[in-house]
Amino acid sequence: MVYVDEIDIDQEGIAEMMLDENAIAQVARPGTSLKLPGTSQGGGPSPAVRPVTQSGRPVTGFVRPSTQSGRPGTMEQAIRTPRTAHTARPITSASGRYVRLGTASMLTNPEGPFINLSRLNLAKYAQKPKLAKVFLSCGCVSVYFLKALDLAALATEHAQYKDWWWKVQIGKCYYRLGLYREAEKQFKSALKQQDMVDTILYLAKVYFRLDQPLTALHLFKQGLDRFPGEVTLLCGIARIYEEMNNISLAAEYYREVLKQDNTHVEAIACIGSNHFYSDQPEIALRFYRRLLQMGVYNCQLFNNLGLCCFYAQQYDMTLTSLERALSLAENEEAAADVWYNLGHVAVGIGDLNLAYQCFKLTLANNNDHAEAYNNLAVLEIRRGHVEQARALLQTASSLAPHMYEPHFNFAALSDQVGDLQRSYIAAQKSKEAFPGHVDTQQLIKQLKQHFAML
Amino acid sequence: MAEPRLGAELASPFPIATEPQKPRPRKVPELPILERRNWLIHLHYIRKDYDACKIAIKEQLHETQGMCEYAVYVQALILRLEGKIQESLELFQTCSILNPQSADNLKQVARSLFLLGKHKAAIEVYNEAAKLNQKDWEICHNLGVCYMYLKHFNKAKDQLNDALQLNRHDLTYMMLGKIHLLQGETDKAIEVYKKAVEFSPENTELLTTLGLLYLQLGVYQKAFEHLGNALTYDPTNYKAILAAGSMMQTHGDFDVALTKYRVVAYTMPESPPLWNNIGMCFFGKKKYVAAISCLKRANYLAPFDWKILYNLGLVHLTMQQYASAFHFLSAAVNFQPRMGELYMLLAVALTNLEDVENAKRSYEQAVALNQCNPLVNLNYAVLLYNQGDKKGALCQYHEMEKKVNALKENSALDFDPEMVDVAQKVGAALQAGESLVWTKPVKDSKSKQRAATSSKPSSTQQPLGSNQALGQAMSSAAGYGKTMQLSTSMSEGNTSRSERAESLIYRAMGAPGFF
Repeated sequence: MVYVDEIDIDQEGIAEMMLDENAIAQVARPGTSLKLPGTSQGGGPSPAVRPVTQSGRPVTGFVRPSTQSGRPGTMEQAIRTPRTAHTARPITSASGRYVRLGTASMLTNPEGPFINLSRLNLAKYAQKPKLAKVFLSCGCVSVYFLKALDLAALATEHAQYKDWWWKVQIGKCYYRLGLYREAEKQFKSALKQQDMVDTILYLAKVYFRLDQPLTALHLFKQGLDRFPGEVTLLCGIARIYEEMNNISLAAEYYREVLKQDNTHVEAIACIGSNHFYSDQPEIALRFYRRLLQMGVYNCQLFNNLGLCCFYAQQYDMTLTSLERALSLAENEEAAADVWYNLGHVAVGIGDLNLAYQCFKLTLANNNDHAEAYNNLAVLEIRRGHVEQARALLQTASSLAPHMYEPHFNFAALSDQVGDLQRSYIAAQKSKEAFPGHVDTQQLIKQLKQHFAML
Repeated sequence: MAEPRLGAELASPFPIATEPQKPRPRKVPELPILERRNWLIHLHYIRKDYDACKIAIKEQLHETQGMCEYAVYVQALILRLEGKIQESLELFQTCSILNPQSADNLKQVARSLFLLGKHKAAIEVYNEAAKLNQKDWEICHNLGVCYMYLKHFNKAKDQLNDALQLNRHDLTYMMLGKIHLLQGETDKAIEVYKKAVEFSPENTELLTTLGLLYLQLGVYQKAFEHLGNALTYDPTNYKAILAAGSMMQTHGDFDVALTKYRVVAYTMPESPPLWNNIGMCFFGKKKYVAAISCLKRANYLAPFDWKILYNLGLVHLTMQQYASAFHFLSAAVNFQPRMGELYMLLAVALTNLEDVENAKRSYEQAVALNQCNPLVNLNYAVLLYNQGDKKGALCQYHEMEKKVNALKENSALDFDPEMVDVAQKVGAALQAGESLVWTKPVKDSKSKQRAATSSKPSSTQQPLGSNQALGQAMSSAAGYGKTMQLSTSMSEGNTSRSERAESLIYRAMGAPGFF
């Protein structure tokens, strides 16, 4: 049977991102909201070192279905950007995945649906708690939220509102329907009755949706008082800090997680990538080797191992890891990313022709790989092909407007040729994408001097 | 700011309602003068109050049906400041239609064309403007800059010299210096910059550029003087600090250099030359691990920079990590194939990796490419001696002596004592005729090899910075058009900044279904 834990299904479709206005504060103070990726107060690595997914959100070490990494600004923008830019799966117009999951659970029986829910007399089943609970577990992961809600309402009445489980179920249904405040009520009263880790996680999810990360953090910390050392709670705190771009605090909590559970994949991956991007590839390598020892065996892990080996100067393992990653790649995007990294290794050994081929192969595997376009353009500039470079940079900046590199390179290139208007426009975009970039600031200052002079 | 409203004079001064039956002779309605509110527009513009300025311009244009030349002119200037060059060009063209006899309008049209990168068209319009106004330095200067973009250097120099004769300006000097540098005439460039510094002794840009040029020529005293002056006027000038720091490093004042760099590290946290120099400071203080981590950061930020790779190779040789040293040095050779010292270090690494054949080839290449550094020959001689090829070793030793004598005549360079030490041992071992007064006992040759390699750092440390920073100095000399960047490697350094080690991807790892 298909059963997916509720806590990890947290997927906002375009509609929820754009058209829902659940957050109370429209312009929250920096550091109190998830919607403004703001400046990283945590002193994490800057975009010059660590790649970003959306403006200001550094790539995370571990992608969950609920990873959001930035929000599109308008509906149109959301439709135009690549489908995987905001969530870990191709985005839908409203969260239709529940439908898919539900139908899957119904269709496990070859003869068709197991139970026809619309025919059941729910009031009758609500009298029998055992049956009702089973039904609800079936129903809740199905299409019939409203049915499930009816059943849960009847059952909870039958239990005289003394059963926390039913309250949680009702809360879940409300949450699915987008009635976050009602869901919050149910979860809170369930918590009063019975301390459960699950309930705390659900409530935190609600606060997450309402864009109140500090409330969620407070809740988690309260939960930690009741369940000291609970891994999921620690992990939840770390995730929120990561969403808020407070990388150093997030890393601290992930370390706590590892003290409790030293095989926690998410924590290991996040700390590993953190070390890699803060000039410590050797330590990152140890974390990823740990993952390998635990039996994780996929393309991404070997890719990371290869990179860490190369940057930690373990040359004997670099290429074998990357080859393994290539052979394990289960789709073209993953293969493209591995080729892209091979391109970096080639640049590192000074073999620019090989690097050129690698970036070309990246594009052959994944046509929308903005970083590869940008790096190809840099290689083309080295060869002196300015026009090609310019076209490639334009492609890169249109594919990934949140990356500062193509904008900056385009600005620098235009500036050399003397086309100062384009240079200025591109430099402005670069500044938007990465406000702290010193070279961009200098370029803009210079261009403004040109414009001001008679 | 309250605006004096001169516009509403058309109504009679008294309200008509109070005196209905008194027939007053009505005033002739005054004709609106075109230029009436120019003073106000100008005031707003020079106070950078652009919003109010735009409103005033709008009213004025509305009143005059767009015939007010000055309003259009200022609007174009504001658009240019906002970076909308194309629109401002159109407005300036309108201006020059309204007043075709004004050289100013033509100059602005040409300037807009220049900012759009249309240099040929700009030159034509400037020539038109020059017909209207013979004695204008701006026209000459801008013509010079346009010619420079089109690579007509001689014409550019003539125009810039004319501009200097009409009216001396810092910018003109800078452009002239830049053209000399582009043509590779450093001495002439220095002359130009000297004059410029005499003319405006407080311009830090000029001072640093001159200091860097002296640094390139190795005239340390003067370089230090000029850079010091620049730092007095602007204590946080990035280029000057980098250059001054690299000079201190050459003289071994690593701690002083580090304090200098600390000033800049906050403002330029991602500058490869800076991290490279900091790394070499630590290297000088024998803190090898710190040196490697700084250099690796620099290399991460600028993967195409051969100097950083060279330094990394050097440090790894010192740490006796020959595999990594070979890796970095061969990468550096790929980016900079015309450099003898690189091949020599590569050969030293290869010798230690027990690949003597390739080491010999590498030495051959180094000897062919290198003219004045005796170390190359010395190292080669040591290798040959260790391989038992006495004859070849002797030959290399004599080559080395030639170079040493030439150097002795040329300058009072003091040789690295370690090198002298090894050279004597080799000389004694080979029983070569001693032309240099060296006497010391011979140790086993293995240690010679090592000594020869470790003598490298102190003699051929090349902190970059000097010439890198020069590239930057050149590239950011604000001129009437930005000139080409000096060294291609610099612009590469700028653009390659964007190369980054890749986003680690974990798309599948996160799926909770798996774990």
